[in-house]
Order: sequence, then C-alpha cells, then structure tokens
Amino acid sequence: MTQSNNESPENWLNDYGDILYRFALARVRSEATAEDLVQETLLAGFLAYDKFSGNSTVRTWLVGILKHKIIDHYRKHSREVTLLNDDETADDVLAYQFDQQGNWQVDLVEWGTPDKSMDDEQFWLAFNDCLTRLPKRMADLLLLRTVDGLATEECCALLGFESDNQLWVTLSRTRVKLRQCLETNWFSKE
Amino acid sequence: MYKCKEIIELTSKEMDTSLPWMTRMEMKLHFLMCKTCSRYAKQLQFMNKALGALEGHDHAKNCRLSESAKQRIAKKMQQAKETVK
Repeated sequence: MTQSNNESPENWLNDYGDILYRFALARVRSEATAEDLVQETLLAGFLAYDKFSGNSTVRTWLVGILKHKIIDHYRKHSREVTLLNDDETADDVLAYQFDQQGNWQVDLVEWGTPDKSMDDEQFWLAFNDCLTRLPKRMADLLLLRTVDGLATEECCALLGFESDNQLWVTLSRTRVKLRQCLETNWFSKE
Repeated sequence: MYKCKEIIELTSKEMDTSLPWMTRMEMKLHFLMCKTCSRYAKQLQFMNKALGALEGHDHAKNCRLSESAKQRIAKKMQQAKETVK
C-alpha cells in the first residue's frame, strides 16, 4: 500500500482514494455514484479533520465516514414499495434444494473450519464475487441489515419492502443464495 | 413439527429478530435430529462473521478511481481548502 507517513489531507486522495472507491463500488454498483461518494467522504473528512482523535487510523476513520455517506445515499434514494422480482424469489435455488415435502434433497458440503479461510485473500475475492452475483436489492438488504446494523423497519422503508415478513423471507433467500455460491466458489474447491 | 425448508427460514429470521421460546425449542430439537439443517445453521453463522469482517479486507486491487475522477476530486478538495482559509 502506498501509505505515506505524512497523513495530511492532501495525500488522502492518493493514499485512500482507491480503497474508498472499491468499498463504495461494491455497495452501490455504479462507478459514477461511487466516485461521488469518495468525493463527499474526502471533503467531509477534510472539514472534520480537527475532530479526528487519532484513536484509529485515518483509513479506518475515512471508511467510517464513507459508511455514513452510503447509508445517506440509500436514504436519499429510498424506494417506493416494490413487488419482489423474479431474481429475488430465488425459487430456483430453493426448488432444487428441497423436495415437495420441504425436506432436503441435496447434501451440504462440510465447510470444515471456515475461520481459516478468513486469513486467505483469495477467500475474500470469492466472497465479494458472491455478493456481486446477488440481485442488487438482496445485497443491499443483507449489507444494510447485517453490516450497517440498520433496523428492520428502516430497511423496509429504504428498500421498498412492504412488511417485516417480506423482508425476513427475502433475507433468508439471500442467505440461501450466498451460502450456495460460497459453497460452489470456495468450499467445494478447497 | 417444522419441515427443513421452514427451519432454514427460521434460522435466518432468528438472526434478525427474537423468536418465541417454543419455536426456539423446536428448532433445537430439529437440529439434534437433522445434520443438514444443523450444518446450514453453522454455515450461516460463519457467513455473518465474515460479513462483519468484510470491511477490513480490501479486494480487487486492480479496480481504481479513474484519472479524470481523481482530478475532479482533487480540484474539489483544493476549492474546499481555499474556502476554509
């Protein structure tokens, strides 16, 4: 990494611009929006630099600002209630995993000690790839809920789910899809 | 008695809301008897853990800000700096 010892804001764009951009792009899936978010983050960081305590690294601090900007982005563009689309119903995945009676008809691959994978850079590439393959709203939901910790009601409002129940059903299907992808892309290959 | 298909939905739901005591007991019982659902639940736990650790891992390093975007942002930063002065 090209981290300079001089942490002055003039170097942020060079030192952290790409990292912030990748982080934003993975979430919003639009290059233009990701660029805007990086700009907003660096400007907000610059204006608030006197509040930076030095308890974390500048990088962590800027990523924290970016996370807020991403949530703001969803708030500004919150959706009207929309019907679940075909991608999201994921019946294809559920249908082949379960028989008519709702019993498993596939065997899940044993993941062994998956924690080991977390030290492997290749694992994170596979993990991010699987997140990218999820339908956009499913990925948004999973990340806003699990990573950003937004409340269920707020997730419904931001992403246009009409009830808590619809949200839970979709979250479950999202996890089914993500799990399946991780198994195929990573745990079956190890 | 819950079917496996219902158990995996409840397993996910339990990560986001609290379930009635009876439901949780039935799930525990089911996990004792059903290896596949129990494996599924463990894998979901791991996925949650990985999601929590996601932001510490930079990936796809060949994906970068374009030069034009960099210049645009640098210009904005410069303007902000002059305004603050």
